[in-house]
Amino acid sequence: MTIQATHETLKAKFPDAIQDAHAPYTGLIVDRDHLVAVATALRDELGFRYLSSVTGVDYPAATDGLPPRFEAVYHFYQSEGGPLVLHVHADRENPTVPSLTPLFPSADFQEREAWDLMGIRFEGHPDLRRILLWEGYAGHPLQKGFQEVYYEADTKPFDSRWPEGAPVRAESRVPLGRNLRYPADFSMQGWCPTDDPWGYIAHDQVADLKDTAHPTDRVVLNMGPHHPSTHGVLRLLVTLEGETIKKLEPVVGFLHRCHDKIGERNTWLGNMPYTDRLDYVCSMSNNLGYAVAVEKLLDVKVPERAEYIRVIMAEFTRFINHIIDIGFTGNDLGIYFTAMLMGMEERELIVDLFERVSGSRMMCNYMRFGGVAHDMTADDVAYARQLAFERLPQAIDKVDQFFTNNEVFKQRSINVGVLPAETAIAYGCTGPLLRASGVPYDIRRAEPYSIYDSFDFDVVTRQNGDVYDRYMVRLEEMRQSVRILQQALNRLPDGPIMDGKPKGLIKVPAGEAYGRIEAPKGELGFYLVSEGGNNPYRYHVRSPSFVNLGALEEMCKGYLIADTVIILASVDITLGEVDR
Amino acid sequence: MGDAIVNVSAWIEGLLLGTGLSEPWVSFIMTVISAFVIAFIPVVIVIFLVWGYRKASARMQGRLGPNSSGTWAGPGGIVQTFADAIKMLTKEDIRPAGVDVIPYNIAPILIFFIALVVWAVIPFGPGTVIGVDLNIGIFYIMAFSSAALFGVLMAGWSSNNKYATVSAFRSVALLISYEIPQLLSVLVVVMVAGSMSMQDIVGAQRSVMYLIALPLPAVIFLIASLAEVNARPFELLEAESELVAGYQTEYSGMKFGMYYLAEFINSVAVGAIFSTLFLGGWQGPFVDAAPILGTVWIFAKITLMTMLWMFIQITLPRLRIDQILNFNWKFLVPLALANLCVISIVNKLINAQASDWTRAGILLLTNIAIALVAWTLVALGGRQKRRQYEAELEVVA
Amino acid sequence: MTQQILFFVFGAIVLGAGVAVVTVRNIFHAALWLLLAFFGVAGLYVLLEAPFFAAVQLFVYMGAIGVLIIFAVMLTQGIMKEKQLPFNEQWWMAGLMAVLLLAVMVYVIRQLPAVTPQALQWDSIDLLGMAFVHPQGFVLPFELASVLLVAALLGAVTIARER
Repeated sequence: MTIQATHETLKAKFPDAIQDAHAPYTGLIVDRDHLVAVATALRDELGFRYLSSVTGVDYPAATDGLPPRFEAVYHFYQSEGGPLVLHVHADRENPTVPSLTPLFPSADFQEREAWDLMGIRFEGHPDLRRILLWEGYAGHPLQKGFQEVYYEADTKPFDSRWPEGAPVRAESRVPLGRNLRYPADFSMQGWCPTDDPWGYIAHDQVADLKDTAHPTDRVVLNMGPHHPSTHGVLRLLVTLEGETIKKLEPVVGFLHRCHDKIGERNTWLGNMPYTDRLDYVCSMSNNLGYAVAVEKLLDVKVPERAEYIRVIMAEFTRFINHIIDIGFTGNDLGIYFTAMLMGMEERELIVDLFERVSGSRMMCNYMRFGGVAHDMTADDVAYARQLAFERLPQAIDKVDQFFTNNEVFKQRSINVGVLPAETAIAYGCTGPLLRASGVPYDIRRAEPYSIYDSFDFDVVTRQNGDVYDRYMVRLEEMRQSVRILQQALNRLPDGPIMDGKPKGLIKVPAGEAYGRIEAPKGELGFYLVSEGGNNPYRYHVRSPSFVNLGALEEMCKGYLIADTVIILASVDITLGEVDR
Repeated sequence: MGDAIVNVSAWIEGLLLGTGLSEPWVSFIMTVISAFVIAFIPVVIVIFLVWGYRKASARMQGRLGPNSSGTWAGPGGIVQTFADAIKMLTKEDIRPAGVDVIPYNIAPILIFFIALVVWAVIPFGPGTVIGVDLNIGIFYIMAFSSAALFGVLMAGWSSNNKYATVSAFRSVALLISYEIPQLLSVLVVVMVAGSMSMQDIVGAQRSVMYLIALPLPAVIFLIASLAEVNARPFELLEAESELVAGYQTEYSGMKFGMYYLAEFINSVAVGAIFSTLFLGGWQGPFVDAAPILGTVWIFAKITLMTMLWMFIQITLPRLRIDQILNFNWKFLVPLALANLCVISIVNKLINAQASDWTRAGILLLTNIAIALVAWTLVALGGRQKRRQYEAELEVVA
Repeated sequence: MTQQILFFVFGAIVLGAGVAVVTVRNIFHAALWLLLAFFGVAGLYVLLEAPFFAAVQLFVYMGAIGVLIIFAVMLTQGIMKEKQLPFNEQWWMAGLMAVLLLAVMVYVIRQLPAVTPQALQWDSIDLLGMAFVHPQGFVLPFELASVLLVAALLGAVTIARER
């Protein structure tokens, strides 16, 4: 069913509750009280079973005949095609919206994030606590009136940074700024934000439940933030019976920097290098996602050569990500870095290519709106051809040879961390995680962006949804990436690499856009709202790692601690992207 | 050329007697000196082993490892380990709050002590080139290595850390289980050699080493020993990705250094014990002519075994605890038991006058037969399981 | 002379550790003291020129029984919290029993013929092995004991399996 037809069906079904969004906004405005009914109809009758993104926008002033409000924005998808967007309004004094978590578990973390950063209360959410910031944080940073420490102005460029024609760091001038506020009776030592500052109470309750047939003491264990196998600063709060996991809760936010707020302060193009830092393993993909999203708002036509270069870079990035993840799985299995360094070797060669074209190995900052920053020279193309046609296929075969039939690896990974297809969809899992569970959903096919529809490649799926299948999907996806790379390099046309002249400061027409790509880890979405200015009005990142992490407990329950680490490795998270 | 080591010790003894000391004092001093030498051998080996391990792992992973960059690193980075040792010694000794002080401090000493004690009965050459030729040599090693478990238990318990405690629990399950196949395979050797003395066992391998005569016990012993020294496929106690560092988590400075050293010493000791039991110890060509060659041979064999250990360490992933225990109880122990029973009968049936080669050939054939039977049983079980699984699939379909 | 000093040292270890087992407040420490007592007994065996028994003492009592006890202690509920003297109101009864037991043992030992110290000229393991398996030796009691142990083992397995 097309999106338009679905709109009509919904309007016929709920005549009082739904109206069209005012242009330039898209989608429907749903009455708050009917949201759950509309979402239920979408899920059960209309086939929109995948809730991709939940976020909030703050409108402190009245616009287009709508009162000052908070808006919760939902993006639903069916198995193919574009999003169905729902806007739900909440008043500014006491913003509450009914929670969709009971219907779509994928909303769990995202609603908590929206409450944490935006201050929208989701009624009926089973566990509405802050997620990225700490309990007891004063205020909700994404509200428009919020001013951070060192606050100077709402948007960049800040005039004060160039007083005499030379840059001055604001931090050096205003000690702590005007915006660091402590309550009057605050003391650093005695500070305890809530009764349950570290989240133990829920776990203690589970720990007190004893199996009567098996009266064993349950233990609450803190894995992380300092732990060798959490791939960054992730804390897993685990309740154990023996070594079996009874409850597991990921605690995130240790790397939080309020990427969204930084994005709103920055100019449109100024955000590009910040996206590099989201998933620092795959900066090229992040660039591509952001460029795709902004280009939906801008009226630009990307030249063909630039599209090809983008695809080449994105597929090389996918290759890096998958081979590194397989290596880290090996690390978590205890292969003493051998597998990881095997992947690193290939990665070094690919980041050499990135350095040649963009000037940087990890933080590439390469894509521009309407093209890419630098052209690939004939040498670069030759180097890329050598990688794609000779080196990388061999590397895949090597990994295949070492892992696929390794008895110990199979023992450890087969039937471990099983995620059934239904659960995977409900939890909003995307990427290899979803495809390993047998759902052939790949955004490159479902909603093609860039020029992916002109390439010949397969969507890889496996049926069992365990750790081994995720490995097999990644391995096979690397082969498909190489296939795309070979086609792209063979057909790489000549021509310009930018639509028009490169501009630093651009104005983006008013409107909203949700641009998403199949990043190596899953669906990377950028929800953007523009009011026609130099800066985004709202800039939200829907990161695959963050949403996929929500399904971790489902996967780990009943397995051992030893399994948890490889399940985590098979989910493939980057904390830079989880914590944002 | 006579036996150089014996000559040197006789020379020192003569020197001491020459100073006018009485006989008991001289023998006491000689004992102390040989104890020191035996304690130093593993420590010195380990210093170079750590360097070699880092070099080998680097080469296997496409890296350089420690190299000669910098003034003090020496050729090939060989000084690196000394620098690390000095760093370890000078590091602050941190004691976390809430630890059980006495067991916490005794545990590293105990583990290090046991790692060194084992070396006393390993023969480094013919005759008296051995710490002490106990008539229960191999049993002494087994007894002390079983006591090493307490170091782990004490450390895990007293550290006031959940990872350490889980590690201690695992150590009980793992070490006690694998002691059984280890002991059973050693028993086969003791039975065939007719003695528990290490020198006698080496002497019994004069013409054929037991690796050829008894390959099955050799493999079982090697697997069980890897588990006992907590090496890679069985590395559960300090499984880095799961338990951070297991029972060593809360240790720092030289206390951690003691664990680190003990781990390497134990790995070398396994090589030494394996060489003695199955590779003929110091036996080798031309030993009769030049006894000093025996020392060379045993060290060559130890090096070989240590290389094997390194390769396993660098390439194999780790198994899960239930898989490890299943493998032990359902496969290794029955196999070792069957092996012991069958070989004890066969060994008794062989004519006592038979030559070493005949005996070895018959034992080898017996071993092969047992291995074939075990292989068939495992294959049959696997096929049955598979048929069951397929039947289940059909029911689902 | 040296031997006597060593004997007193090991004797003191055994006695001191034994007293500590029943008096320390921490049950885990008590188990560790027990291990030290076992170790002291092993030392006494060495002094008696019975290295095989010393090794068996280490292997069986420290390596197996000690671990079993410590494992049981670690599984005890609330071991981290309660640290009290392991006495109850029946301590005097236990003391009485201990004294009686000591008296019986002294009596029995005094009945034995006096042993004169002499250097052992034979290999104790060979003799031990012969005693166990030789028809004139203890082969019947030995086999009976092993059958008993196997029965106990099977019983334990059966009890553990039922659930």
